[in-house]
Amino acid sequence: MLKRLRKVCLSLLVALVIFSTFCIEVAPVQASDNHTSYNYSFWEEAVPAPPAFLPTMIINGSQLGIDNLNTPSDMHVSDENEIYIADTGNNRIVILDELFEYKDTIDSFSGEGAQGSFSSPEGVYVTSENHIYIADTGNNRVVHLDENQELVKIIDEPESEMLTSTFSFRPKKVAVDDAGRTFVLSEGVFDGFMEFSVDGYFTTFIGANRVQVDSIDYLWRRFATREQRSQMVMFVPTEFTSLDLDEDGFIYATNIDDSDDVIKKINARGDDILRREGYFNPVGDIDYDRSRGPSRLIDIAVADHGIYSVLDSRRGRIFTYNNDGFLMYVFGNLGNKMGEFHTPIAIERFEDYFLVLDQELGEITVFHSSAYGHTIDEAVRSYEQGDEDRAQALFEEIVNMNINLEFAYTGIGKALLRQDQFEEAMYNFEQSLDQANYSKAYLLYRNEVLRENFSLMMGIIFTVIALSVGFSVYRKKSKRKRVF
Amino acid sequence: MQKEMIKNPFQLMVRPFQGFWELKYELNRKENLIISFIILIAFIITNILSTQYAGFVVNIYNPDEMNSIMEIVYVVVPLLFWCIANWSLTTLMDGEGKFVEIFIATCFALIPLVVINLPWVFLSNFLSHQEAMFYYLSQSFAVIWFVFLIYVGTMTVHQYTPAKTTVTIFFIIIAMGFLAFLSLLFFSLIQQISSFLITIYREFVLRY
Repeated sequence: MLKRLRKVCLSLLVALVIFSTFCIEVAPVQASDNHTSYNYSFWEEAVPAPPAFLPTMIINGSQLGIDNLNTPSDMHVSDENEIYIADTGNNRIVILDELFEYKDTIDSFSGEGAQGSFSSPEGVYVTSENHIYIADTGNNRVVHLDENQELVKIIDEPESEMLTSTFSFRPKKVAVDDAGRTFVLSEGVFDGFMEFSVDGYFTTFIGANRVQVDSIDYLWRRFATREQRSQMVMFVPTEFTSLDLDEDGFIYATNIDDSDDVIKKINARGDDILRREGYFNPVGDIDYDRSRGPSRLIDIAVADHGIYSVLDSRRGRIFTYNNDGFLMYVFGNLGNKMGEFHTPIAIERFEDYFLVLDQELGEITVFHSSAYGHTIDEAVRSYEQGDEDRAQALFEEIVNMNINLEFAYTGIGKALLRQDQFEEAMYNFEQSLDQANYSKAYLLYRNEVLRENFSLMMGIIFTVIALSVGFSVYRKKSKRKRVF
Repeated sequence: MQKEMIKNPFQLMVRPFQGFWELKYELNRKENLIISFIILIAFIITNILSTQYAGFVVNIYNPDEMNSIMEIVYVVVPLLFWCIANWSLTTLMDGEGKFVEIFIATCFALIPLVVINLPWVFLSNFLSHQEAMFYYLSQSFAVIWFVFLIYVGTMTVHQYTPAKTTVTIFFIIIAMGFLAFLSLLFFSLIQQISSFLITIYREFVLRY
């Protein structure tokens, strides 16, 4: 017996060795690099998806009939769909109209007795009243012009107790909310955005990034002497890379923290209130080549209904998320073909257009949404507006185009749930791997089934009880008979 | 006799001290071994069924990564590691158990994991999110019961005191870690050698 067992064990072991040598090969590298159009599944794997945006044209200086753009670094689309480009190298702001034709250039300003020009402006923002804010980086100031390009005010280097003596004001990005408060992203500031009042006075810092401490570094520091510690690199929070405001005045910001909150939605108190309810956190690529590192998000563009897009400069990709943090679509790539970029620096979107500014090439690639991308946008919008029937119809269209877009099934399921079609809703929630909603639908479904079959089930239960009681009574009686 | 064979494992579940004693000293070892293998297979089947058929509310599985053969490996390999580590340690520590006895006791200790989890595979399909608590509760209960049985089993098989059993189990777990490390090393070496040989063979074939 034992001998046989031993034999069996030995042969098993040998089989395992042989099996393992053939079976365990190098796992195929899951490179998402080859797909320009993909999406991430619930399992955090890249799955192909139809392209959501297609390149339609490229705009550069000579096409517009002006000097070529020289290292432009920011762009903004106003409410009237005019495109403002911060042409940093040429010290000017170029304005295009909504048909992408050249409209105007701002290279100097005057008003209230003062006048001046720009020195490598790196940021531009246009309010709903068409007031223009320019982050005049080289001159260490923010210039505020009104709709006639007349000077309103200049925000110079602020003086405050909160600032150290070595502080230098180098505004790179600027945004202004409806109340006129100005948020400035200044180079070398680790405390968050600088907030200025309507009059241009510095009020406070807002939304500082948290310090990322490496646990090993921390341990080292614990054992170091004070002299050693002073020689070490300080733990400082990372800087933001970009900001944008949504319709309600919340700040959307990106940083390059290498953490889970590289995208933030900052409220007036400076708290991060971004919804991260998706299958994974909105951080750009999640399945990537480790040697090249994670996505480097350098610009953010907020559309309506909480839809926002971020630009990854490392791989030239643009990720768009909905209000809940579900990845809607990904497009763009680095390369030489149309629709690919060299050094993407800024993104903007309006209507069905998506603009990507390339810094080195000094050109803008214009994308237009495909039927697929347009349907997703519309579906998410209808869903956010509460128009679930329309959302359901659109999501069903999307599922026909891309069966892998899991969160679309949740949209369908929620509409079905409202229509009391519990079983179909359960099916859809199972497709989107949404356990919480599935459970909701299941409870309703179970109640329905129980209610419909109540009399039958109670009948069965009572019969079973009656039979078992009768049987036990009978057995007791027959036992007693046998005894006596 | 057949009836006894079915009854014994369940009796052992509720009266482990008596059950393991009988297992070691009174019952037919061959029969016990057969029952052990049946329990082991039942446990593997339970695991496979629960990854495939447990309700959606408590079980999301990736069909790409679901592999019944791996499910077998996940059960058999730790079990063998446990038995080997147990045997190699207890022979040094005056344990009275033989390898077969250790194997039988370990397999019998798996019974609660089968008896409790198998019905739940079916029942979990009728659960909502809030009720899933009961599922997890009974699963942890099964695990605790299993740990208790394996503890009593080890104690009875080797005729140890409770304190010595505790210490031994602690060392067994460390030994299992060593075993895992050694086998990883072994397999990676074998793999390297085999890939080396394959490369040489290929070069030969290409050249001549």
